[in-house]
Amino acid sequence: MTASAPDMRVDRSTKATRIGLWAMLAVALLLAVAPWYAGAGVINRLTALCVYVLLAAMWNALAGYGGLVSIGQQMFFGLGAYATIRLSEAGVDPFVAVALAGLAVALLSWPVSLVMLRLRGGEFAIGMWVLASVSHLLVNLDPLIQGETGRSLVALNAYDTETRRLMVFWMALLAMLLVLGLLAALLRSRLGLAIQAIRDNEEAAGSLGVDAFRTKQVIFVLSAFGIGLAGAIWLASATSFQPKTYFSVQWTAYMIFMVLVGGIGRFEGAILGACLFFLIETWFAATGVWYLIGLGATAMVFSLYLPKGAWGAIGLRLLPFGYSVTQGNGDRT
Amino acid sequence: MKTGLMTTSATARISRRDVLRAGAAMGLTLPLGLQPAMAQAGDTLRVGFISPITGPLAGFGKTDGYVLEQARAALASGLAIGGKTYAVEILDRDTQSNPSIAGQLAKDLIDNEAVDLMLAISTPETINPVSDACEAAGVPCLSTVMPWEAWYFGRGAEPGKLSPFKWSFHFGFGVDEFYRAYVSQWGLIETNKKVGVMYPNDADGNAIRAVLAPKLAEAGYTIVDPGPYETGTADYSAQIALFRQEGVEIFNSFPIPPDFAAFWRQAAQQGLHKQIKIVQVAKTGLFPSDIEALGELGVNIASAAYWHRDFPYSSPLTGLDGKGLAAGYEAASGQQWTQQLGATMSLLDAGFEALKASADPKSKEAVATAIAGLQTVTMIGKVDFTAGPVANVSPGPIIGAQWVKAAEGAGFPLDYVVTENATDPAVPVAAKLQPYNA
Repeated sequence: MTASAPDMRVDRSTKATRIGLWAMLAVALLLAVAPWYAGAGVINRLTALCVYVLLAAMWNALAGYGGLVSIGQQMFFGLGAYATIRLSEAGVDPFVAVALAGLAVALLSWPVSLVMLRLRGGEFAIGMWVLASVSHLLVNLDPLIQGETGRSLVALNAYDTETRRLMVFWMALLAMLLVLGLLAALLRSRLGLAIQAIRDNEEAAGSLGVDAFRTKQVIFVLSAFGIGLAGAIWLASATSFQPKTYFSVQWTAYMIFMVLVGGIGRFEGAILGACLFFLIETWFAATGVWYLIGLGATAMVFSLYLPKGAWGAIGLRLLPFGYSVTQGNGDRT
Repeated sequence: MKTGLMTTSATARISRRDVLRAGAAMGLTLPLGLQPAMAQAGDTLRVGFISPITGPLAGFGKTDGYVLEQARAALASGLAIGGKTYAVEILDRDTQSNPSIAGQLAKDLIDNEAVDLMLAISTPETINPVSDACEAAGVPCLSTVMPWEAWYFGRGAEPGKLSPFKWSFHFGFGVDEFYRAYVSQWGLIETNKKVGVMYPNDADGNAIRAVLAPKLAEAGYTIVDPGPYETGTADYSAQIALFRQEGVEIFNSFPIPPDFAAFWRQAAQQGLHKQIKIVQVAKTGLFPSDIEALGELGVNIASAAYWHRDFPYSSPLTGLDGKGLAAGYEAASGQQWTQQLGATMSLLDAGFEALKASADPKSKEAVATAIAGLQTVTMIGKVDFTAGPVANVSPGPIIGAQWVKAAEGAGFPLDYVVTENATDPAVPVAAKLQPYNA
C-alpha cells in the first residue's frame, strides 16, 4: 500500500494471507457439500464444530479485541434457545425461529450493554455472570418452561429426520460464515482499529477521539448475536430445552478454553482453538472426569507457557487483518 | 437413507466421481476418528443403554454395571425371534449426569452405532434428551424411572390432544401412584393431617405441585407450601419457620439428595424434626447411601419405592427373581441392594420382550409398533402400553417403604421395609410404619 522507505512495504495482504483466504473458502465449500460425501454422524459432529467456532470467535471478539472479559456469555446462549422455543410456540416455523432468535438476543443485548459496559474489568466479568444467573431464574419462572422441566422443540417433529439434520447443519454453517464475515468486516473497518486501540489503552484511545462506549457496544451486541444464534442452533440440533443445560457456565468455560488454547486476539486463533477443542472432545470425552481434568490442565499449561496460544506460537498471519511490514529482502519485521 | 442426497445408489456403477467422493469422505472422517456407521450384519441386534454413572446422579447408575452383566450373560447365546437367532450387543453409555451429553450420546449411538433400540433410564436429565434425540431420528426408545407426566408433558405434549410422539415410550410411576401410596401410607399413623411440602422448581417438583398437591388437599390433608425453591438453595430458615408455625406433622419433599441433606440438618438444628411424625421423601432417600449420609437423622425416614426385593416378580430376560437379584448384587459388590437393580432389570426385560414381540427386530417401525402394543410382566410387575392414561405411557407402581435400623448382624446399618402396597397389592407388606419422632 504505502511505502515508507524505498526498501520497506506495508501490506494488508501477503502471499500467506492470499493462500489463507483461498484455503478458508475451499474449506467452507468442502463443508457446505459435506452431506454428499459424509454420513449422518459426521454431519451431526460438524454441526457441533460450527457452533464451537461461532462461540470461540464471539468470545475472542469480546475479550481478544474488545478487552471485555465476560464469564456470563452463557446468558446469550440460553436466551437464544429460549427465544427459539417461545417463537416456535407462537406458531413461527422452527427454522425461522432459530434465525429470529439470534436477532432477538442481539436486540436485547443493546439495553444490557448500556448498563454493563459501565463496569470495568473484574466487575464486568462478575456482573455478566450475575446477569446470566438472573436470566436463568427468570426463564425458569415462565409457566411454559416450568422451571427445570424445560420444553422440547416439538414443532421440529413435523420435518423428517434427513431434512432436520441437513437444515440444522447448513444453518450452523451459514451462521458461522455469516458471523465470521461480519466480524472480519468489522475488524477491517475504522471501528476495528478503534476496538483494538481501546483494548490496548482506553484512555489513550479516548484522547485520540475514539468513542470508547459506542465502539464497545458494537462488539458486545455482535458477540451476543453470534452466541444467541449458537444457542438457537444447538437447541435445533438437540431438541430438548432444559434451562440448567443452556444457562450453564460450562459454555463460557468452553469459550475461554478454545480462545486461550487457540490464541487470544487472533482471528485464526479462535478457529484453531475450536477445532482443537472439538478434536479433544471427540477423542477423550468418554473418559469422563479425566477429560475435564485434562481440559483444565491444558488451559493452565497454555496460559503459563504459551500465553499467545497455539496460533501465537505458530506466528503465521493467514488472514488479512492488520498490516505487515516487509523489508526489501523479504524479511518481515 | 430416504433421500438420494446422502448416499449414492448401491446399484449404480462405480464411477470416478464415486471414488473421489469416497476418498473425500475418508479424508474427512479419518482424522476426526468418526467413521460412518458400518453396514451391520443382518443378524446382530444392537441396543443402546444410556444412564447416569458418574456425576450428581451417580447413585442411580451405580448398580447398572451388575445388571448389564446379568443381561449379557443371559443373551450370550443370542436371542431367538421368529425362528431366527440374533446375536445381541448392548452398548452402554454414561451421561455424566449431564442432559447435553445424554443427547449427544444418543445421537452418536443412532448415527455411528446404528442401534435398533434405545433404552434410557433414571431422571428427566437423562431420559428427556435421549427420547427427543430418538424421536428426531426415528429410532424406537423405551425408558423408565421418572414421573411419566414430566416425560410426557415436559416434552411438549398437551393434555387432551393426540400424543405428538411416534418413537419414544415410557413406563413406570406417575403422580397418581404417588397419591395413592401417600394416602395409604399417611393413614397408618394418627396425625393432624397438616403436610409441609418442599417441591423444587424442576421437572419433578412442578409436576407434583400441579397434580399431587390438589389431590392430597381433596383427600383431607392441609398442604402448607412455602412455594417452589431453586435447587442448590443454602438457607431454608423461612420454610422451617413456616412449618413450625403451622405445626405440620407430615413432611413431604422431592429434592435432590444434597438439598435434602442441607434442609433436614437445618430443620434438626431448629427443632422442626421433633414435631414431624412422617418424613416422606422422594427422589432422595431412594438408596441406602442417601440415608446413611444423614446419620441418626436418617433413621425412620419414609420413602416410596419403584421396586423392592420383595416384589413377587421375576425377570423374563434372566429368570432371576427379586431376592436372587438383590442377593447376587450384594455378593458380587459387597454393597447393599438398591431399588434401582429391579428398575434397570425391568427396562432390559421390557426392551427385549418388545424385540421378541416385533415382526422384524431389525425394522424400527416394527419395533415401535411392538412397544406400542406391549403387554408383559417384568421385574417391576406389569408393563402394558395398550391401557395407559395417554398414548406412549404405561404406568407402574410406587410402594410405600421406610428406612429402619437393621437387625443385629444384618451386615448393613439400615433396612428398607415395605409398609403399604396400594398400587400393587401383590407386593407383601413387611412392617408397620414407625413414627419418625418416636
